[in-house]
Amino acid sequence: MNRRQFFRRTAGTCLLFNPAGMRSLSNIFALDNKPNLSRTEARFYKKLPDREIECRLCPRLCRLGDKERGYCGVRENDGGTYLTLVYGKACSMNVDPIEKKPFFHVLPGSNALSIATAGCNVNCKFCQNWEISQVRAEQVDAFDLPPSAVVNNALKYQCPVIAYTYSEPVVFYEYMVDTAEEARRRGVRNVVVSGGHINAEPLQELVGTVDAIKIDLKGFSQDFYTQYVRGELKPVLEAIRIIHASKAWLEIVYLVIPSLNDGEATIRAMSRWIKTEVGPDVPLHFSRFFPMYLLKNLPETPLSTLERAYETARSEGLRYVYIGNVPGHKAESTPCPRCGKTVVKRMGYLIESMDVQDGCCRFCRTPIPGIWA
Amino acid sequence: MTMSESRVVVVRSKGSVSAGGDFDKAKILRMLERGLCLLAGMGAGRDAWRTLFTERDRVGIKVNTIGGRKISTRPETALSLAESLSEIGISRKNIAVWDRTNRELREAGYRLNLDSSDYQVMGTDTDGLGYEADITAHLNIGSRFSSIQSRFVTASVSLAILKDHGLAGVTAGMKNYFGAIHNPNKYHDANCNPYVAEVFDVPLVKAKHRLTILDAVLVQFHRGPSFHPRWAEPFGGLIFSVDPVAADAFGWRVLEKLRAQKGLPSLKEENREPGYLRTAEAMGLGTADPEKIRIIEDEVS
Repeated sequence: MNRRQFFRRTAGTCLLFNPAGMRSLSNIFALDNKPNLSRTEARFYKKLPDREIECRLCPRLCRLGDKERGYCGVRENDGGTYLTLVYGKACSMNVDPIEKKPFFHVLPGSNALSIATAGCNVNCKFCQNWEISQVRAEQVDAFDLPPSAVVNNALKYQCPVIAYTYSEPVVFYEYMVDTAEEARRRGVRNVVVSGGHINAEPLQELVGTVDAIKIDLKGFSQDFYTQYVRGELKPVLEAIRIIHASKAWLEIVYLVIPSLNDGEATIRAMSRWIKTEVGPDVPLHFSRFFPMYLLKNLPETPLSTLERAYETARSEGLRYVYIGNVPGHKAESTPCPRCGKTVVKRMGYLIESMDVQDGCCRFCRTPIPGIWA
Repeated sequence: MTMSESRVVVVRSKGSVSAGGDFDKAKILRMLERGLCLLAGMGAGRDAWRTLFTERDRVGIKVNTIGGRKISTRPETALSLAESLSEIGISRKNIAVWDRTNRELREAGYRLNLDSSDYQVMGTDTDGLGYEADITAHLNIGSRFSSIQSRFVTASVSLAILKDHGLAGVTAGMKNYFGAIHNPNKYHDANCNPYVAEVFDVPLVKAKHRLTILDAVLVQFHRGPSFHPRWAEPFGGLIFSVDPVAADAFGWRVLEKLRAQKGLPSLKEENREPGYLRTAEAMGLGTADPEKIRIIEDEVS
């Protein structure tokens, strides 16, 4: 099976709502094109004199005059009151395999009701979802989906998990937290897919509300974050520490981009940092890059580069290292660190065998960290 | 119009705006005509406009309406400009007064119009318009452009409001083109530098830009870009230049003068000196050095 055939079979098990987003030019002329925006007061901001505010949600600390938007494009100062324009205004909702996020140690084989709104607080040149992340709130076709409706849909489509994903959930923080709280009350779990560009205070609250967070660690130098992410590395590393210290499960993804963040020294330094700071049991996914958005000039990541990164991380003592976006690769599966037998065998997003029982290897009873039931 | 020097024309008029805030349209028209004549070095307004525009042009008048009725490009100014352009033979339907959204245009006092027998007044969010599907990548910029700028406009006027800006220092003619892209919020880091210059440098903007006019009848000289009457002062003028950098550089001087008069620190002292001007000059977009800019001032009655 080649990559194209694989994705045709498995990508996005159920498309529920995912509009094309932008209008194309046509001969339709009407002036009243009213965007579907919420006017809900945001959290984590400080009022300043003269109707100005400072956003405290993420490390950017946007200071905004009246009517101005934050970097994220979805939070706006309205006369000194800071509003989120996307509360309950999803632009995507799909049922995905949880492996697509990817979470490999959270309820393997489960479906995750996956939602997103517009907006993001960084601007990665390699963004895979830029049509919804790198736009302002009114530039997507958003639909009304309050927290209760998200949970209703999760139950309706038999999803034990809700995933906040695709764009950057930090920018729809209030919507995410309220949804997660209702989901938890109704027996549905919550996972977050984030770049980790968030301040400590909101993150501390978030980790008490959700079950797992996957952080996209996009590089391991500030230079890379400055040039290709337009963000800061240090707060992302701090976010990883905070998540690990909490009860929320943590996984890390590293998109390996040829010539930009794939040096062996970089991979080794990152692997050492992970082992030292959050331990060898945190899963690390090396994901294959495909040319996208503002980085169309680079080739897709060679398999040999991914395998070298995998070997480097393993040699540094990380126990659960994976290769992603390469369907059928042996490093998609989970080995028992003690007996070496495969305990979760994967083929892309499909689970071919599952030998974790009661959180342990079925063969030698070694505990396998994660959320298994 | 070609000039070896960077020329900025300032035309002021006492009483161009009444105590109640209403504009004297006849005075605005005279200010526009006088400004163009001085800029082009010609005696007649029509001849002066023809140095910049032809009858075949589709002219975009990009206004800045984020500040609402109080501190946006005035409809009276924009429509007077449209009238001046139509008088040299440009079809009214080929003149568009435009900005990001219909809501902002309405709130600034514009009456929207897509009737092909008259000037177009429209936001990019008008159904059937929108932003280009493809990203335009240029230097540090990656943006979708308004289809008005990319497809309709062949010749552009940045008819901006002159204001203080909390991050860029100054928002004037160059930053006005942030309203032509879908993601201006991504370009406010580092005092909007180099982004203001780089957005302007995109061929879709630079190759079409013909003229900057700054509406400086009322200038917000502090705590911009939103309106604060405490820090807004009548300047009573329009500022003209074919050099986009020189126009903004002069606008900066106006702001600094007003700030000094009110005992406020300079923008440099507040760490928001408009560094984009030097960047723009280094990129060859125009002249930022005040010593190299010739200022011509006049007044109309």
